Amino acid sequence: MTDGIEPFGEGFVTALAPEFVLVIGLFTLMIVPNLGDAKFRIPLTQVRIPWLFGGKRGTLDSDPRLPGIFASVFFVMAFILAVVSFIGGMETKTIASGTNELLKVDEFSRLFELIFYGALALASIASIDRLPATSRKDRSVSGLYNNRRQVDFYILLMTCGLGMSVVALAQDMFLLFIGLELASFSTYVLVAFMKETKEGSEAGMKYFIVGSVASGVGLYGLSLLYLWSGSLQFEELSAHFNATGMDPLPLTALGMLLVGFGFKVSAAPFHFAAPDAYAGAPGPVAGVLATASKAMGIVGLLRILLVVASPEGMDDATTVWLVALAVLSVVTMTWGNLAALGSTNPKRMLAYSSVAHAGYMLAAITAIGALNWEADHADASRNAALAVVTALMFHLVVLVCFKLGAFLVLSLLESENGGHTLESLGGLVKREPFLAVAMFIFMMSLAGVPPLAGFLSKLLVVMGIVKAALLESGSGSITFSEIHWVWYLALIMVINSAISVFYYLRVGLVMFFNEPEEGREGPLPNGTSIRFAIVACVASTIYFGVGAGQLIALCESAANALVGAW
Amino acid sequence: MSTGIDWISLPLVGLPLISSIVLLMFIGNVSNAAREKLGPSIRMVSLIISFIMLGVTTMMFFGQMDKMADWSTMNFGSFNFEFSYVWIESLGIRWSVGMDALSFPMVWLTTFLLPITIVATWNEKNASVYFPLILMMGGALIGVFVALDLFMFYVFWELTLIPMFFLILKWGGKDRKYASQKFFIYTFTASVVMLLGLVTLYLMQPEQIVTGGKYGTMTGRTFDIPTLVSHSQAANANGMWFLGESMQKVLFVMLMIGFLVKLPTVPFHTWLPDAHVQAPTGGSMLLAGVMLKMGAYGMFRLPLAMFPHAAEFFQFWLLALGMVSLVWGAVVCLGQTNLKKMVAYSSVSHMGVILIGIATMQPLGWAAALFMMFAHGIISPMLFAVCGAFKHHYHSMEIGAMRGMAKHSPWLATSMMFGWMASLGLPLLAGFVAELMMFLALWHFLAAENWSVFWMVGPAFVLAITAAYYLWSMQRTIFEGGDDTQPPASLHGAPVPDIADSEKIAMVIMAAFTILFGIMPWIALDMMNGWTVAFFEQLLIPILNGGV
Repeated sequence: MTDGIEPFGEGFVTALAPEFVLVIGLFTLMIVPNLGDAKFRIPLTQVRIPWLFGGKRGTLDSDPRLPGIFASVFFVMAFILAVVSFIGGMETKTIASGTNELLKVDEFSRLFELIFYGALALASIASIDRLPATSRKDRSVSGLYNNRRQVDFYILLMTCGLGMSVVALAQDMFLLFIGLELASFSTYVLVAFMKETKEGSEAGMKYFIVGSVASGVGLYGLSLLYLWSGSLQFEELSAHFNATGMDPLPLTALGMLLVGFGFKVSAAPFHFAAPDAYAGAPGPVAGVLATASKAMGIVGLLRILLVVASPEGMDDATTVWLVALAVLSVVTMTWGNLAALGSTNPKRMLAYSSVAHAGYMLAAITAIGALNWEADHADASRNAALAVVTALMFHLVVLVCFKLGAFLVLSLLESENGGHTLESLGGLVKREPFLAVAMFIFMMSLAGVPPLAGFLSKLLVVMGIVKAALLESGSGSITFSEIHWVWYLALIMVINSAISVFYYLRVGLVMFFNEPEEGREGPLPNGTSIRFAIVACVASTIYFGVGAGQLIALCESAANALVGAW
Repeated sequence: MSTGIDWISLPLVGLPLISSIVLLMFIGNVSNAAREKLGPSIRMVSLIISFIMLGVTTMMFFGQMDKMADWSTMNFGSFNFEFSYVWIESLGIRWSVGMDALSFPMVWLTTFLLPITIVATWNEKNASVYFPLILMMGGALIGVFVALDLFMFYVFWELTLIPMFFLILKWGGKDRKYASQKFFIYTFTASVVMLLGLVTLYLMQPEQIVTGGKYGTMTGRTFDIPTLVSHSQAANANGMWFLGESMQKVLFVMLMIGFLVKLPTVPFHTWLPDAHVQAPTGGSMLLAGVMLKMGAYGMFRLPLAMFPHAAEFFQFWLLALGMVSLVWGAVVCLGQTNLKKMVAYSSVSHMGVILIGIATMQPLGWAAALFMMFAHGIISPMLFAVCGAFKHHYHSMEIGAMRGMAKHSPWLATSMMFGWMASLGLPLLAGFVAELMMFLALWHFLAAENWSVFWMVGPAFVLAITAAYYLWSMQRTIFEGGDDTQPPASLHGAPVPDIADSEKIAMVIMAAFTILFGIMPWIALDMMNGWTVAFFEQLLIPILNGGV
């Protein structure tokens, strides 16, 4: 790969335009809210030069909503740039230093950037006029946190976005880890952003401790990989793995990396921090954790499992991690659903449902591992892998619409101190019919009821798994016992999604059936921007359910960028 | 594919769905007071829309549309008003609609019941939301019957749950929360198993090299139901099991789970009495009238058409399940003190008749099943309308709560008696035709296949039980007590009213059609018969005559 772009060489900035927008945004956010009328006196003279940093600030740049508006604009710009690069005919660009590939801009990473920026943009728009979430009688602008504290929030969102896109772009384990840590550290702080509340500090603490342990284990695995192969380049690792993949050393390393990324996607048994973190974090942040952060974990898993410990290089029909991952996925989805059944805090419930969704996605990845890459099956396998990765991508994209949307509705309730009990949703239909219907749509989509986006994503995942399981049936006839056992993962998955209906439906029942709690009769606090974000979520949930053709094609081209090379 | 006006997508599916959504969105944005005030006009709009739909289907019945084949002589695998549009190209999903003589009676029935339901529940509270939901329900139900694409079929199949869930939840009885949840989860669980079966079926079909059109560009496979059936037909003609023997059996079971729960048969029937007892009258009428038939319709459309070998293999189990439903439903009826629950269990029993008809694998049995679907679709809404009126007047569903109804409310008493008689299979009424046909088919089947004659004991026994529970409940409510009966205590001394005029209209229409189809069953039976015979010629006779 010598034709790559050198870092900061020609074409570097255009290749990474969305990221640079975020960097500019970061600096803007640091500078603008600090502009004031400060003057700098030249020493030993009386001459004062306007210095602008510090001093008394103007009304405009001390407005608490300013950082939110700025951040939203930059996120939306980054999002649009990523979309434009898709529309303008995607060109694969590699950023390499010498022979080492560092970052690769292709459909795959661009689509993930779309997910990240989309989720972060929605979160940032939703937060413009709702921080802090703690209850205050005074819902006017002056009731918000002052804008220096607001700035922290949005700066962290931006670094989080930067870290995530580095993960998606990385072609090198080391860079991937840097990006992962950048995003993780931002989220640790974001989770603890409401540090004044008990739940907030508890959430931040738990999330930080568990997360850093998981990262540490992952990093140790990384160092073992380096010890074994002497390189952290994906391509070299992959080649090395094909040669000596069954050694204990790389297998140990692989297991440790699974722990690290398992935490990010909140797979059981590494999910314990997730419910607490989601419950204590501000609503939009919890939404980001459940969507963008999870997508980042999935990128990591895809890179590790499908590129490094690649199934296509294996001589025998199965990969090393097949059974382990299958067990992990079954445990994750079942545990998530059963725990969600018992949780009365809607945010915890959504956290567990997010665990269950992680299980579905792991099941899909497992199915890729079950493919047979012998010469006579390679084409069919590539097709099946393409279908599964497409389904995964689609799932992650639409998850942003309804999972984040559900958290945003809860976050509106948070601003009157609700959202922590199911009862606080009571009678929502009488208070805010639109919000209740929106929440019901999100819940039905999560449960996988047609014609919403969640149904289609689940259908695609099931289809991908079944396609992988039926690989042997090239001629059209196959007996039931010949079907690969990953088919049962699909069965477990649909049964699990039937269980999940129970708790999703319960939210609907409370909203439509119960009377509002005492003291919560009136409409919810105003918040134009968050309502706008919710409308966007509802519209896309329905649109991607009914007219998903283009999005599927987009996901397919992205999946092809990953799978096509096999 | 024909050209011209898409009579199905536009007036029959699109109109009710879109208008109900528009109405609901409009209602969501007005104040509570305005909502009350707008109720009557929204009810009127809903009624007009349902009349438009009824008009369209009735014109279809009389063959008044352009380019349509006669219902009773249609070729197997051809459809009237067939239209398809690309929906999701990469997966081969299309919006594809069409009607044959299997789906048309069901569609007509739905459009017939919609105005009747609206009229019979004219005074339902919260009218501005209730009537759009009824419309939405109708649109979703028709969508199930006209879908020629598996994906579209499943989408509408699940879509019917949502308006029904809200109908039970918002207008239901005391335990509506439990009932609506149970209803939703029960049928949803069965449907996802069916969905996995559908997906497996989709991916098992032979892959096409040339994609585009109905074949997905990404998968090379199709969701098109007629295409899949013709694949099956081709396999049968070669003396093979479509998709292989073991897979066909597995898929047959998976699809049947979805349909048997919806039908429902014992032991999957427990959601039905709960849902019915708690549902409002309008919900019950559509639930019993059309929604249950979705299960039977689905069986004819998918598993029986695609997996005839497996159907024959599981014939014994189908017959046994049907027999158990028939007997169990009737026996449980005997023990009910709740009028509506009794009617609900009698539905289970009648659905058993349908399943027996299917299990005979005789053209006559299938025609009986189809006619039973139709006749029960007219009679059972009448039963539930009577139950609704009973509840409305006497504030109770207990059978002993009101006595001497003949004296106090003659209209209600007459409707009740008529409905009960129709349901127990009085000759010259629609239900009798179906039951008689089923008996004949079962006899014929038992004789032809040398099965034990003891299979007849169940149905014969049930005839007696059915008469017993219906007559007993009638005697207790209508006649018992003589002239000196007092109105029930729950009325608190108020005079006993008779049913409202709107209810009278609905009852009379349903009664008239019950008589019409009892005396002249061939109006509907001809097309069902034509469809069945074509089906047997094309798909089943090669197999049943030892084709393999």
